[in-house]
Amino acid sequence: MTTPVPPPPGRTINRGLFSHYGARLGLPAGILVTLIAGALVSDRFLTVQNLTNVLINMSIIGIIVVGMTFVFVTRGLADLSVPATVAVGGLLVLGLESSIGTIPAAIVGVLAAAIAGGINGWLIGYAGLNPVITTLASGTIVLGIAQVFVGGVIVYGDNTEAQAFLTGRVFGVVPVIVLIFLAVVVIGHLVLSRSMLGRWSYAVGSNPSATGASAVPVKRVRAIAFLMTGTLSGFSGVLLGITLQTARPGIGTGYEFDAITAVVVGGVSLLGGSGTVLYAFGGLLFVQLLTNIMVLLGVPTEPQGLVKGALIVGAVAIDVALRRRGGRE
Amino acid sequence: MNARRNIFTSDAFHGLVRNRVVIILAATLIIGATFVPGFLEFRTASLGLDRMATLGLVAIGLTVVLIAGQLDLSGGAILALSGIATIGLQAELGQIPAAFVGLGVGIAAGAINGFLVVVLRINSLVATLASMLFFRALAHLITESRPVSGIDPFFGLAVSRPIGGTFTGRTLIFFVLIILLHLWLTRSVAGRQLFAVGSNPASAEASGIRSRAYLFGAFVFSGTMAGVAGVIQSLSVNTGSPVFGENIVLIAIAAVVIGGTRLEGGRGSALGTLGGLLTIAALTTAMEYQSVPSYVQAIVTGVILLLLILLDRTVSGSQRRDVTLAALWRRARSSRSSRITERTLHHEK
Repeated sequence: MTTPVPPPPGRTINRGLFSHYGARLGLPAGILVTLIAGALVSDRFLTVQNLTNVLINMSIIGIIVVGMTFVFVTRGLADLSVPATVAVGGLLVLGLESSIGTIPAAIVGVLAAAIAGGINGWLIGYAGLNPVITTLASGTIVLGIAQVFVGGVIVYGDNTEAQAFLTGRVFGVVPVIVLIFLAVVVIGHLVLSRSMLGRWSYAVGSNPSATGASAVPVKRVRAIAFLMTGTLSGFSGVLLGITLQTARPGIGTGYEFDAITAVVVGGVSLLGGSGTVLYAFGGLLFVQLLTNIMVLLGVPTEPQGLVKGALIVGAVAIDVALRRRGGRE
Repeated sequence: MNARRNIFTSDAFHGLVRNRVVIILAATLIIGATFVPGFLEFRTASLGLDRMATLGLVAIGLTVVLIAGQLDLSGGAILALSGIATIGLQAELGQIPAAFVGLGVGIAAGAINGFLVVVLRINSLVATLASMLFFRALAHLITESRPVSGIDPFFGLAVSRPIGGTFTGRTLIFFVLIILLHLWLTRSVAGRQLFAVGSNPASAEASGIRSRAYLFGAFVFSGTMAGVAGVIQSLSVNTGSPVFGENIVLIAIAAVVIGGTRLEGGRGSALGTLGGLLTIAALTTAMEYQSVPSYVQAIVTGVILLLLILLDRTVSGSQRRDVTLAALWRRARSSRSSRITERTLHHEK
């Protein structure tokens, strides 16, 4: 009989092989299975045309997902003002492009959304308000102001060149908008995984009080996550406005939930302190591939929520179960 | 700086913030009465309350969920689903059994939410987001995204017609339920224990309260209320539609929070929610009479909401204290009497 030795501080030993690799490989395996299943059920699925469409469809929402990942990692719960900031970007770029030109209008749109995100960040990070109710209220206000600005109607654009540029293809294959999206993902990933801000974000999300005690600017890190989400949503709205050449106030409806879905399916915990941009990207890819298969099979848009809802529950339930197994609860 | 601190930490200021719902409601009513002719007439009030009744039922359920420290985004989708059951099954089951099925849909949906949060331990924000997507999609799937009509348009008049020249049936149902909730929260042991669970589930559990049962119950209650709202809403318009209640949850959360219930749990009241609902109803009515565009209304509601939670934070950032009027009076008396005792002691020396 040996006396029980207290487990070493590293948790890997405590965790079973399954829980260790399950958490990391589950998503790539899921994507792979989806790709195979898609190829089996529809011969249109594995074509360059179709997969490019999937990428284009995920670009707009994907840019927001990068910001939302930071919100999740810093334990900021979620940013529900996304539809408003998307609309601000879209409405402003189209509303102003005839008078000041598309690029200055785009800058104004992004800046306006950034201001909204900054206010969110200040209220949540510095004033310590609850993120859910704050972004709910600020979203209502921001969307209202944007509508006052354009008179509460649909705005149409007139710059088809910009539209053609964004949807046009580099080397004849990859659309420009997809390249922009991938660039945002790479930058977001590098910031979260390699920079000081990224390390601070994980620290703030896993233990705010200890992090504050070790001289990390907790409030600023929290605020920056919301500033980023606001800015990126505005940017995404600008791109959406230019590609569609039309924007209505409800243009971003549902984007907040789509972004949260992607982040959650990507295994980023709502409790903060874990998850990466790449996994959130993987979550988005998984959801988009599934949606694409359903569209190819002729499932109408609305009932697709059945699958999305089940997917969120499945992803989080597995995550929670694995954590409990790993003794990390 | 010093003076500012004094204002923010004074009892009077705390009292103002704590009883803010009354103040805001009074201000809204005064402004409304000044600018809108006939604003305070009974007819206007009755109409305004009638429109608020469905929202109010969802808010009743949310009050309990928020006090328990959770969130429920799925109320609107449950409302749509139970309305579809209520109307869609009329031909097969008869009107009253169908309405009970609608209610049952609400209860079952609430139980699903409870299962996700309590058994699978999924964060309630994400869990009810998922169930919201699921229920809404189910509603679209069943109806093929088309509204369904009932068999008898006169059947639903019972809930939408004024009873005895006063309020409509649904307004009365709402009033009865919110008063019952108030009594339950303030007078019953279970009600008090709900607050304990909301402020700290672990320590509530340690002191012998079955926290998980309360959390589960809170979600079932919220689902049931959304179900009641769905039955009433669909009966009153004799239609069940998959798009009913699209934005209702966010407005209901706003009303509950304006009423002083905190999203962090452990604090809130039914009467506060009533005040929040009345404020929103009065605001909406006043602004609509002035034909203020809906997006400007949204700005006003949002600003009020934001200012209130900011004020709330300023106050709860300092220490917690009892600032009911009775407590303020007691404290004022005790501090005076202690001063008097001190003085007498001093004199005796």
